[in-house]
Amino acid sequence: MQGPLIDSLARQGINRRTFLKYCTTLASMMALPPAAGRAMAEALAAAQAGAKRPSVIWLPFQECTGCTESITRSHSPSIEGMIFDMVSLDYHETLMAAAGHQAEAALHGAMKANAGKYLLIVDGSVPLGLDGAYSCIAGQSNLAALKEAAQGAAAIIALGSCAAYGGLPHAKPNPTGAVAVSDIVKDKPIVNIPGCPPIPVVITGVLAHFLTFGSLPELDKLGRPKAFYGETIHDRCYRRPFYDQGKFAKTFDDEGARNGWCLFELGCKGPVTYNACATVKWNDSTSWPVESGHGCLGCSEPDFWDAGDFYKALSMPASPLKTAAAATLAGAAAGVAVSFANRGKKGAAKAGHETATLSDLEK
Amino acid sequence: MSELQLLTWARGTGMDIAVAIFVLGVLWRLIEIYSLGRKKDLSAPRHAAGASGWHTIMRRSLPPPGMVQRSPVSYIGGYAFHIGLALVVFGFAPHIKLIEGLLCVSWPALPSQFVDFVAVVTMAAMVVVLADRINKPAKRYLSTLGDWFAWAVTFLPVLTGWMAVQHLLLPYTTMLALHILSVELLLVVLPFTKLFHAFTVFGSRWFNGQVNGHKGVPV
Amino acid sequence: MSLDDIPVRVVAPDPGLSGNAWPLMLEIVQMVRNLLESGETSAIDLSALPLTPADKAWLKDRLGGGQIHVELQAEGLSTLDETACPGVWWVTHHDAQGRVLSELIEIAQVPELVKAHPDDIRMGCEYLEGVVSELS
Repeated sequence: MQGPLIDSLARQGINRRTFLKYCTTLASMMALPPAAGRAMAEALAAAQAGAKRPSVIWLPFQECTGCTESITRSHSPSIEGMIFDMVSLDYHETLMAAAGHQAEAALHGAMKANAGKYLLIVDGSVPLGLDGAYSCIAGQSNLAALKEAAQGAAAIIALGSCAAYGGLPHAKPNPTGAVAVSDIVKDKPIVNIPGCPPIPVVITGVLAHFLTFGSLPELDKLGRPKAFYGETIHDRCYRRPFYDQGKFAKTFDDEGARNGWCLFELGCKGPVTYNACATVKWNDSTSWPVESGHGCLGCSEPDFWDAGDFYKALSMPASPLKTAAAATLAGAAAGVAVSFANRGKKGAAKAGHETATLSDLEK
Repeated sequence: MSELQLLTWARGTGMDIAVAIFVLGVLWRLIEIYSLGRKKDLSAPRHAAGASGWHTIMRRSLPPPGMVQRSPVSYIGGYAFHIGLALVVFGFAPHIKLIEGLLCVSWPALPSQFVDFVAVVTMAAMVVVLADRINKPAKRYLSTLGDWFAWAVTFLPVLTGWMAVQHLLLPYTTMLALHILSVELLLVVLPFTKLFHAFTVFGSRWFNGQVNGHKGVPV
Repeated sequence: MSLDDIPVRVVAPDPGLSGNAWPLMLEIVQMVRNLLESGETSAIDLSALPLTPADKAWLKDRLGGGQIHVELQAEGLSTLDETACPGVWWVTHHDAQGRVLSELIEIAQVPELVKAHPDDIRMGCEYLEGVVSELS
């Protein structure tokens, strides 16, 4: 392995062996064979003389910047920071030093210079309402910016639940007409990395895969990398034995909760959520919501904001019943109406009763 | 529509519609039946020991003497799946949460592994009872489409619920959605099929006992 | 001799073993043969396999301990130990907090991480030349 990358990493105190160790771990996490770890390290480090690092353009749309926070607040900056040393992050509004016209020039310059080859990362949803006026950067709507940037992109990473499925802006009543990236762009490979925010190593793993192999990892039918979204939280949850036995915490901080019992009754959406939180965990494997005593919100699933109260169990109604009162009245009314009709029939039958005489029978 | 969106519909709008039709149907039919009234029996009431509505409810909750030996499948199978259904529906913690969500009452749950076992016994009993209905000529002759449908609409919720908890066949989200949809189907048809016996059985027994008790005969 | 006369000996399985460990031994044998014949190195990622702790203990026990124990400090401790079979190394990577990041069995004359890379040697050489020139 040689190249300017290793030199720059060495300047940060990350030597070749550390780099190789991390690539081995990353490959293992992505369920790739051990040899892929070495291939990853070599591909990521290799930069032929004169060749440029792959260009990455990051466009933020209707988002909260949480996805950027997730990847930059990663405690061991070596893995995540490394990835951004391996690429040329040509446009990122929160992180770049330039502003205003200079920033726009950087964006368009990068798009032109790397046409057809750059990786486009998008976070935030795309608002369609009012012709896209709800979210504009430099006078251009997000919708137009996405369409323009997508044209020259080799692949698109829809980062976070907003970009992947519409996320929070898309929740009822969706006042801005927010949609996902995949609703706009139909002709480029898109990988969805949902989560609110996504786990940092998932972003890293997908980027590493793309940079190494030039392709996106295997995706499920919602466009998520199977390596990280192949199993539900419930299937890997360490509290599963309590679920199987029926030991549930009834309220936060009750006896059951303190004993680490299952949080199903407190609204945990783990059984219906696909993500890697239960195995990879958060903050460098410190903990994750269930381990900290709070049920899973289901943040990597489409429309999780509208999937019923976060604190109502999956077996409970998702929204308060609206028609029960009206149905009660309607049923009572129907019953009373029918009973009057029945009485009427009885009365008519009684009144129309004709006594039969022997002569009638003999007829 | 994604799996989660189907589940959310089943838990939201679907449940709203199903509970509404259920409540409407139950009230309608109960009022309709009980408003019919009965002609007053003007004869002098006779008194016999053990002859009243309440006695009949108790007596008809047990098999008549000798009947278990003559029709073991009907009685043992029938008891097994009715009791099993009650234990599963009212004893499983997620179901108790549902009832709590609808009616604001709850009670302690049974251990989930026990409920799992009871669900299997219930399904086995229902299959045996169905097989008997198909194999015994008299039962088969008397069975109508309504009978087969009622069996299916009662069996499906137990099957899909058990499969969901066991993570069989389909991903959990879809299986749970199917389970809730099958329960909603049951709710919607219950007031309008023979399944309405759930609400009328005790009233009907009481009435039979009361009428015959007036005549001095314990039934 | 009737069937009943043939003695039946029941061997109780070790508790905790899933039976997934011994096919790995077959794989390791094949990989060692490849190493002998063509010098081809290989590795098995233990984190990815359905192995119980008892399986790993069984594997470690069967492979045995060797003469060489290597500790690598690289953002956390990594240990690379030769087993009783030269050429078969048990590699464990820990992070800075001591958690296990990954575990592998590497079949090679020397694990990749232990080897010094020519570029690193070159850098070291430049440094040494500098020291020598200062002394003279």
